[in-house]
Amino acid sequence: MGKQATEMLKGILEGIVLAILSVRPAYGYEITAWLRDQGFSDIAEGTVYALLVRVEQRGLVDVEKVPSEKGPPRKVYSLNAKGQDYLAEFWRTWSFLAERLEQLHQGGK
Amino acid sequence: MAAKWIELVTGSLEQKKEYRRYRARIDALPEPYVTVAKAFHRYFMSGAAGIPEDDSVVTMLRDFVELWERAAADGTPVRDIVGEDPVEFADLFAQAYLGKRWIDNERARLTRSIESAEQTDRSVEQTDRREQP
Repeated sequence: MGKQATEMLKGILEGIVLAILSVRPAYGYEITAWLRDQGFSDIAEGTVYALLVRVEQRGLVDVEKVPSEKGPPRKVYSLNAKGQDYLAEFWRTWSFLAERLEQLHQGGK
Repeated sequence: MAAKWIELVTGSLEQKKEYRRYRARIDALPEPYVTVAKAFHRYFMSGAAGIPEDDSVVTMLRDFVELWERAAADGTPVRDIVGEDPVEFADLFAQAYLGKRWIDNERARLTRSIESAEQTDRSVEQTDRREQP
């Protein structure tokens, strides 16, 4: 992943993570692993963790603590109603941007 | 120094106990996590990333130590957690817990100043129009 991609991703990572959580609840590591599988290789687990903390503080996700074999309980995040509204808004914004950029891209040829 | 800071900011005995538990959990981390956690702790307490002024500081520290306990239990490499830029990670992490800060008052003041200037601007504009023949 290039520097440009990393910079661009910063603004939309929150939407991506909420979209992942809208499919099914997950804990931080699962989200990072999914992102890496999809080619977002530069994303640190801590970045995702900090992001999850932020959406938790803003009340967009619910958190359930699940005991683990070793170490502290894992925090499993799921999207709640407020988070779903926020995600819907994210997709509207994304569609608008994608459409306009595509026009610009085609027009530039 | 750090302990002194938290004692000044947080009042209740319960919070002080919570803080002592937090310090003990940090100290119990294996290397290299203990060193890394202490380095971030120092950075947080310096106020460089901003310090939550209310009870959120307790939540923040608890989440913070849990992050490292989790990493230690999973054996996750430090760099995987922190990423390329530790400062960015620390700032992002702390920002999630920051409620209203003094800087927010200043930001609100700037916004209000522009709004009131805009209104004056509008009324001047209207007067100008009326005065024109």
